Amino acid sequence: MRARISQFFRTLTGRLLLSAFFWSAAALAVGGLSLSYAFRDYVLSDVDQKLEMLLDTMVGISEISPEGVLRFNRPLFDQRFATPYSGWYWQISEAGQQPFRSRSLWDFELTPDMSKRIFSLKYSEVEGPDGQRLRVAERDIILPEADRIFRYQVATDTAEVRAAIARFNWLLLGALALIMVTVSLALVIQVAYGLRPLRSLGRKLAGVRAGKDSRLDGAWPEDLRPLAQEINALIDQNEKLVARARTHVGNLAHALKTPLSVIMNEAENLPEKSATTISRQTREIREHIDHHLKRARIAGGGSGPGLAVKERLEKLARAISRLNQDKGLSIELECPDGLMFDGEREDFDEILGNVVDNAGKWAVSHVTISARKLEDSPRRQFLEIRVEDDGPGVPEDQREVLFERGRRLDERVPGTGLGLAIVRDIVEMYGGSAYMDAASLGGLAVVVRLPAK
Amino acid sequence: MRVLIVEDDATLSEQMRQSLADAGYAVDLADNGEDGHFLGDTEPYDAVILDLGLPIMDGTSILRKWRTDGRDMPVLILTARDGWTDKVEGLDAGADDYLTKPFIMEELLARLRALIRRSAGQSSPQISCGPVMLDTRNGRVSVDGHPVKLTAQEFKLLSYLMHHEGKVVSRTELTEHIYDQDFDRDSNTIEVFVNRIRKKLDVPIISTVRGLGYRLEWQEEEA
Repeated sequence: MRARISQFFRTLTGRLLLSAFFWSAAALAVGGLSLSYAFRDYVLSDVDQKLEMLLDTMVGISEISPEGVLRFNRPLFDQRFATPYSGWYWQISEAGQQPFRSRSLWDFELTPDMSKRIFSLKYSEVEGPDGQRLRVAERDIILPEADRIFRYQVATDTAEVRAAIARFNWLLLGALALIMVTVSLALVIQVAYGLRPLRSLGRKLAGVRAGKDSRLDGAWPEDLRPLAQEINALIDQNEKLVARARTHVGNLAHALKTPLSVIMNEAENLPEKSATTISRQTREIREHIDHHLKRARIAGGGSGPGLAVKERLEKLARAISRLNQDKGLSIELECPDGLMFDGEREDFDEILGNVVDNAGKWAVSHVTISARKLEDSPRRQFLEIRVEDDGPGVPEDQREVLFERGRRLDERVPGTGLGLAIVRDIVEMYGGSAYMDAASLGGLAVVVRLPAK
Repeated sequence: MRVLIVEDDATLSEQMRQSLADAGYAVDLADNGEDGHFLGDTEPYDAVILDLGLPIMDGTSILRKWRTDGRDMPVLILTARDGWTDKVEGLDAGADDYLTKPFIMEELLARLRALIRRSAGQSSPQISCGPVMLDTRNGRVSVDGHPVKLTAQEFKLLSYLMHHEGKVVSRTELTEHIYDQDFDRDSNTIEVFVNRIRKKLDVPIISTVRGLGYRLEWQEEEA
């Protein structure tokens, strides 16, 4: 699991998601902290303003009585200062005297630090009665009638304010979390959307490898285009290399064959023993050449423009009936128009040439070729070509043998015996299949399935 | 029977010439496509052995040109490229059979015999006319089952006539088909050969058509 996670973060999607997630989380955190601070600041300054106002009011109604005692010349109209532990308190202290306190303080007393003069308003937080936490505004005042210094203090319990701040913070956290979730979701969608061309590039490339396409064509985004172009160039180069290798093999084989003919024929003039050895060896060389040449020639991939099956079969049928003129071979062809083989012409010719030629050799007078498109393959389309003859046929248990290299059931009919083996090789390279069946005409039926376009 | 070989490999073509001459054919050689096409276009051949990979003009093009120009002699194509695509192209261009390299002479000879036979409308390798039988496979001639010994030139002449049974064949035509192009032709020798053959066979199957040539035919009532 851990390995899989670390692997995920090494993918492009993982990297993009991780970095985007990190940055959005950081941005949200900074935003959240600033908001929380601003709210707290706003709420507290509201409290402070109230305290300052009260303090000013207290100063305004203060007077020294003829007895020299500080008192208010009218009551501070606020019930909260009369209710014990209401959370609103005031206290006026003078060094060395009993402080003048609000009734709400009850038995509690604020303990101002009288050692320093405070002539401008000062706020602080102190421990209050009943475990309350108080915000205190305090200031030293010299009343005009007397040259005495009084410390004025107004305090309020901050529980309510703190609760408001906490509520706000929770709300903020919830909202931010919601935003984070939404943003993350959007990020996932965005990354998937942004990387979609890359995915379709990958799919297209797989298509090229499977032979469904020849190039990565299509309108790629600007930033993917160089990649697609490079890959196309690579495909081109690869094709060129393969083609060149194939041509070289072909040329080599071609070049060997004429001298081989000469050697074979010259051997006829030698004493019998040498002649036999040489002809056996040359035949072996010939078989090797044929074998490898044919395999080198197999392209085995679709993607090209495709081959019109009907036209090709017509040409093939003409050629094979020409070869079997003396027995008046008739080849009947049944093929829908527009049927396309997804592959190379050489491969098609090699498969059907061998199959139809075989049928022609064995037929008494009649061969039928019927081609059709198979409908039951949803992923890749296939076509089926069935070639039947009215010859002697092949017993069921010997049919598979014919697909083996170098096997012939009857040595009288000329052929190297490679025919059907190569047919199966090519067909399988295309992902198709080849098998034999009894023909309705009485002879053998060879059925090949090939990819259609 | 006169055969044209168009093949660019000198050794192979010489081997083929030798084997064909031994088998009683008059043989002409061309070692490039242009000469080959010209010869096939102007000389009356009974068959052509045509290599597909030729310098100057390839075999398929030559064949196609011959066929569009109405030259219908049987053509056997030789090809080192034994893919079916090449075979199909060759056959479609008008070839009658193909042989892939490397091959042995017997096979070439057998294919050639079959081609010539086929184009003459014969289905059996043994051609007979009345009591006379000619086996194209081994060059033997017999009358009523008794073998008759013929020289190479006599055999060529009889073989040509047997392949064209019932048709009037002129001396020029005979000359053209039993001698290769380098031979110093003299149509008078034809008459000498015909007379010798008549004597050796001892059955009246070759009649002279005055002013036109000869005709090989067996008429029951004459026997």
